[in-house]
Amino acid sequence: MSTIQVEVQGLSKNFFDQARGEVNAVTEVDFECRSGEIFGLLGANGAGKTTTLRMISTVLQPSDGTARVLGHDVVREPVEVRRNLGFYSASTALYPRLTARETLTLFARVNKYPAERTKDRVEEMIERFGLGEYAGARIEKLSTGMKQKVSIARTVVHDPPVLIFDEPTVGLDVLNALDLQKGIRELRDEGKTILFSTHIMSEAERLCDRIAIIDKGRIRACDGLEGLRAATSHHYLEDIFVHYVTGNDTPA
Amino acid sequence: MDWTAIRLLYLSELRAALRERSVLINGILIPLLMYPLMMWVMFSAILFVTARTESFASRVEIAGLPAEHRSLLGRLEEEGRIEVTEVDAPPAGTAATYRAGIEERLLAGELDAALIFEATADGPQGNAAVALMSNGSSDQSQTARGRLERALSVERSDWLDRIAGQHGLEGAKWQVFEVESSNLATGVEMGQFLMGMMIPLFFVIMIANGCLYPAIDSTAGERERNTWETTSTLATRRIHIVAAKYLYVATMGTVAGALNAAAMVVSFRSFLGPLLARLGDGDGSGFAFELPLRSLPVLLLTAVLLGALIGAAMMILAAFARTFKEGQSMVTPLYLLVIFPVVVLNDPSLEFTPPLAAIPVVNVVLLLRQAIAGNLLWLQLGITLLSNAAAIVGCLWLASRVLRVEEVATGSFEGNLFQFLRQRLRPAGGKA
Repeated sequence: MSTIQVEVQGLSKNFFDQARGEVNAVTEVDFECRSGEIFGLLGANGAGKTTTLRMISTVLQPSDGTARVLGHDVVREPVEVRRNLGFYSASTALYPRLTARETLTLFARVNKYPAERTKDRVEEMIERFGLGEYAGARIEKLSTGMKQKVSIARTVVHDPPVLIFDEPTVGLDVLNALDLQKGIRELRDEGKTILFSTHIMSEAERLCDRIAIIDKGRIRACDGLEGLRAATSHHYLEDIFVHYVTGNDTPA
Repeated sequence: MDWTAIRLLYLSELRAALRERSVLINGILIPLLMYPLMMWVMFSAILFVTARTESFASRVEIAGLPAEHRSLLGRLEEEGRIEVTEVDAPPAGTAATYRAGIEERLLAGELDAALIFEATADGPQGNAAVALMSNGSSDQSQTARGRLERALSVERSDWLDRIAGQHGLEGAKWQVFEVESSNLATGVEMGQFLMGMMIPLFFVIMIANGCLYPAIDSTAGERERNTWETTSTLATRRIHIVAAKYLYVATMGTVAGALNAAAMVVSFRSFLGPLLARLGDGDGSGFAFELPLRSLPVLLLTAVLLGALIGAAMMILAAFARTFKEGQSMVTPLYLLVIFPVVVLNDPSLEFTPPLAAIPVVNVVLLLRQAIAGNLLWLQLGITLLSNAAAIVGCLWLASRVLRVEEVATGSFEGNLFQFLRQRLRPAGGKA
């Protein structure tokens, strides 16, 4: 029986922008994620996906509402939240002057992975992600694909039950993107809870167990692909997305 | 406090920094090698020029040398490397033409110096007015002039003694208006005075230099490399992350200051000491560069204090920058602000009074100067510690307030510290 790992209730984020004035980036977002599922946040650029995920990962503070990871509140217990979470996004780069092995050791230790098991865990990650040959090389010397692998390894090295991937395939070539998707599926199969944001329909279709469509900071729909199909009478996710975002049904 | 996280982050910052060429150059190599290298170059250059000048053979013409002063030729021979051409005094009425000819030859470099004796009617036999002509724009001519002056001075003094002897007087009796000067300072004291003037000045500059790159690199540099968000997802409190970064910046500043002071003492002893001895009277008894042992704890203490203070202040400013370049432009004014009073107040007559001991940075310079001279003023030391500690606490308090603001922490705040403070201090309702 899967358990609720992430609970988001009435989550909102407003901020003041000198050019745009008061901005409501996210408004009263609600959803839950269960263990062993990939939950997708599907939205156009600027829809509020990254802001939502940043609030869950404690990088940003919510203006209103709550979010809990394994029962830990993101505002009151941010350290506990981060300990149980691996956050990956295009804006979470690696330290260029550390090696892959040093990076993984640092993240395992600071994220409270048991010290006596850290060395074995780091070697396990190096082997799992095929980093062996490059483990001693500085990150700045690695190719984009290798950096990507180190990034994912540092996200999971402390073995967190919840993983957040914010548009992870942005900037990757097809083969690397497919490789990444395969890795995410494997993590799901290990029982991890995965929050995955994307604006690529095919990716969400292939990967996500449930999908929340987000537009202008609000969740417009949230269900499995079959449920969304049944609710909109559309087969393709692209049409479903357009249905919810524009309110119109466009021909497929 | 999560000391494990602080230690791990601190060590990883240090490890990364030591792999960065700019940090190594600014924080370690320049403080360590700049002064020995500078002094070695200066020492070699001066020795080279001196040796080259001393090897010149001076071409000298002497006109109208009286019989009473023939001994001058012997003295010039003793001086060595002087080629003397002796000519008769120019016939009456042709002195001006002769001088014009000498001038022409000096300017053309055909001659290095000339001595023209003109006998005077007054005084004892051999009394003469002597014109020493040379070309100040030529090294060779200057050297020739020096050699002639030395020989002439001895010749004059001996001749006067001889004349005095003919009148039954000894030199010491008739030269009653004698000036005898003596320097009561020992060589060690003179060395400490010179070190006290120079070490604190460069010490502050090097600490500021040592803090500059790490302060920008660990704040604005993180944002530019997109690693700030990565760091902020670590399972530790933000204040611990900032503490680790701060310790790293302060360490780099302290290390730069300590290395620089050590390098300067070594340079003074190895290069400046021998150089001053060679340029002075040559017996090597002028300056002795020895640092009193009890000044070492003060030196270390001041390095830590300054590293901690300058590091904190620089980090606050750099926290607002989103790129390394922005960071440099935000921090550089502070760098100048720290150095300016130190340069201006580098006056040996400035007394280290308790009120001056209350001014951060300035007090450290004055305290260090006193310590190098072997004086420890305990009241001033206490005030210095308190005032710097208060300034450090103030900076850290401000940093914790500033970094608590999400826009600053995430780098979305557009502006610098002063714009931030103005905005925060503005009365409610002013933000329209």
